[in-house]
Amino acid sequence: MLQLLEGIPTQCVAKQDKVSTGRAWSVFLAPAQIVKTARKLYEAEYSLEDVFALDIEEGFLVLYHFNRWNVDERVVLRVLISKDNPTIPSIASIFDGAEWHERETRDFHGVNFEGNPNLVPLLMCVEDVDFHPLLKTDKKRKQIKDLLNLGEVVSCNKEIEALFAEAEAEVASDA
Amino acid sequence: MSAYQNLEQMKGDFYTQKFEAGKQDGTLIINMGPQHPSTHGVLRIVIEVDGEYIVRSEPVLGYLHRMHEKMGETQTWGGFIPNMGRVDYGHPMAWNWAYVGAVEKLMGIEVPERAEYLRVIMTELNRLTSHLLWWGAYILDLGAFTPIMYAFDDREMLLDILQRPSASRLTYSNFRVGGVQMDLDDKCLELIRTFIPHFRERLPMYHDLVTENLILRRRIEGVGIIDEDMCQRYGCTGPVLRGAGVAYDVRKDEPYSIYDRFDFEIPTQDSACSAGRYHVRVAEMEQSLRIIEQALEQLPSAEGKHIMDKAPKPSMKPPAGEAYFAVEGGRGKIGVYVVSDGSKVPYRVKLRAPGFSNMNAFAEAAKGTILADAVAILGSLDLIIPELDR
Amino acid sequence: MFGIPMILINLVIAAVAAMIWLALNALVLVYCERKFAGHIQRRPGPFEVGPHGALQPLIDGLKLMSKQLLTPDNADGFLFWLAPILSMIPVMLLFMPIPYGPVLTGMEVNLGLLLILAFSSFNGLAVILAGWGSNNKWGVLGAARAVAQTVAYEIPLLLTVLSISFMTGTLNLSEITAQQAGFIWDWNIWKQPLAFLIFIVAMFGETNRAPFDLAEAESELTAGFHTEYSSMGFGLFFMAEYGYMVAMCSICSVLFLGGFYGPFPGIEGWWWMLVKTYALLFLMIWARWTFPRVRFDQLLNLNWKWLLPLATFNLLATALIMKL
Repeated sequence: MLQLLEGIPTQCVAKQDKVSTGRAWSVFLAPAQIVKTARKLYEAEYSLEDVFALDIEEGFLVLYHFNRWNVDERVVLRVLISKDNPTIPSIASIFDGAEWHERETRDFHGVNFEGNPNLVPLLMCVEDVDFHPLLKTDKKRKQIKDLLNLGEVVSCNKEIEALFAEAEAEVASDA
Repeated sequence: MSAYQNLEQMKGDFYTQKFEAGKQDGTLIINMGPQHPSTHGVLRIVIEVDGEYIVRSEPVLGYLHRMHEKMGETQTWGGFIPNMGRVDYGHPMAWNWAYVGAVEKLMGIEVPERAEYLRVIMTELNRLTSHLLWWGAYILDLGAFTPIMYAFDDREMLLDILQRPSASRLTYSNFRVGGVQMDLDDKCLELIRTFIPHFRERLPMYHDLVTENLILRRRIEGVGIIDEDMCQRYGCTGPVLRGAGVAYDVRKDEPYSIYDRFDFEIPTQDSACSAGRYHVRVAEMEQSLRIIEQALEQLPSAEGKHIMDKAPKPSMKPPAGEAYFAVEGGRGKIGVYVVSDGSKVPYRVKLRAPGFSNMNAFAEAAKGTILADAVAILGSLDLIIPELDR
Repeated sequence: MFGIPMILINLVIAAVAAMIWLALNALVLVYCERKFAGHIQRRPGPFEVGPHGALQPLIDGLKLMSKQLLTPDNADGFLFWLAPILSMIPVMLLFMPIPYGPVLTGMEVNLGLLLILAFSSFNGLAVILAGWGSNNKWGVLGAARAVAQTVAYEIPLLLTVLSISFMTGTLNLSEITAQQAGFIWDWNIWKQPLAFLIFIVAMFGETNRAPFDLAEAESELTAGFHTEYSSMGFGLFFMAEYGYMVAMCSICSVLFLGGFYGPFPGIEGWWWMLVKTYALLFLMIWARWTFPRVRFDQLLNLNWKWLLPLATFNLLATALIMKL
């Protein structure tokens, strides 16, 4: 996995506990890197499981699950995008199956996928094109550090570390 | 921020209009569905045909969309389990298991051994009903009316078995976080034990009457190629992937629960066509029988409350975190991803439906085939529309 | 008698008899088909109306009649309603020249076989009009299939019939029957086994029955040419389909199975005709509930690559043998 990601400026790479999360790797990426990473994963015989978004206070966290057929090594790519401009490049040119997943994410959260060949409503009806059912109310919306943990960090830049900083501190104080 | 600034565009039959924009000369655009006998529900496919040949096609989903993921965010953790039975009426046990398994991962709960065995037995029995339903309906799509009655004859016996521990016949929801809700009683075990030899006798008959039929073979062989590369690009799993020659089965490759204790094979076919998927499913029925047999042999005794003694209350509060759990359903890899913020209600539930990804490959597979092949391909994908639309 | 020629009275009686025969057969056949299908599928079939569900077809007919007649928007109303009538009327004419018993022939026509073949082609026209007139894309697709199919299957059918008339030297069905009098081995099926097989296959194609029911193919084209028909519009197509089946099976038993003659001399009568016709009808029903539907290109391939060359070969061989 690490050598696969060589040459891609990742924000944060972390090992995950397979037993408790069901995944092997978690990778934070900048939106601009997602297409490049997807291509690398495609070449390494990964197939796409799903694409979806998480509505958190920092913005939208778009998650991509990939897995391989021969070796069980589930990877989750996480891309944090801002609420003001929820736009992310589409990976439908590499994984055709992403087209529908991205359209679904657009329906549910209003994340715009640039370059999706057919970005029209998939599951929601056409009239509700600007209504996104899975957006949280401000009261319910949580911060990323309250929901996820980083796992066993391999490399991480400061921005992501800062996002999780408080939670880590809490864990440390508990210990 | 709308994709469509001009709402006028979306009046009328939007999807057909959009499709018509790129229409070639001399072709016909037809709507297969939402009411069409062989789409098994309210799936709609806009197809451009040149005579009988399909130039391009585009599935239009959403006619059965019920927003289960939103329901997940409004119900308690335990209260969401019955929803899983409604997502896929073909193989609800596997969906139950996927959700329950994800929550168990999140909470770190160990499932009692007997409950694990009961889960395996019930899921495999349910897989048989799912494949039988597909088998009958698929042959019906291809124009033979009789086999579905035979399939339902056997399916009826299975439903009689499954209704005893789950108290329902179609949309099961008897899995609980930390176990199963009801035990298999003696009568039920006896029914399963008589069913297995009965079904073993029936399978060769199905083979003789249907699989060997020349018309059927001509209809499905070489039709609707979905090869390994397509599977990778679209994320197809289950019999579609195994029909393309990849021996990938979540039960073997990502063993969950106690599947590593059983001796079973993963049937594959290299042809990557509808016939390949057909043979894979038929062979899987035999493998399911093998698993059930072994599970019955190994089944630990039922002393006391061994099936859900560690189960938390329905109003449980899992610790904050995330978990992804995948199981092998009748149609492929079912994945459930849950995020908890430590409250009684899930923060996010994401359901990964295998049919969704499998259906995605339809447009590419159907291109250039004739209209009757489209039906053969659709059927071979084994679509359950509620699962597609969720 | 009142100056009306005897032949006209005869014809009217025959026409009325044919109508009754057709309606009666449709009723019986619907019941038989549903019962037979039921038993093939391990269920009892209709059971509620009448003893063993015997009155079910009557009730079904009543139900059909009591339904509303709908003409779709923008449909060509004239063609739309002409089609079922056009499908129904020729069927009655088909029965006229068929000898059902030694004295039970509606109309002695020397060119009876020709008349039947001519009128049986009407069905194709009716299907085209129905598909076109109903302004429905599935209907058009069904009609297009029907054209290709009926045109294709007419040819081998004609060729086999021709080889029979080569052999017998007549187109009069009564005479063809008369030539088969005697023992079972005098029947034409032994002299023309290949023609018999081709005829049976082409018969499925001509009557649009499964596995060759491509024009209606409900799992592909919803209902093909009769997608938009309700009430008796559909009812007429339905009756016509059974009518064609009965007619085709009757012709087949006349041409190949000795018509109203029994397996040995002295026991001829209309019941033999009935037995043979119904045996063939059961074959058709049996095939429908057993086989999947063939694909359209396979249907045409079967015809152009197998049936047609074989039928031509059969015809040439017959001609050669007759010449020698």
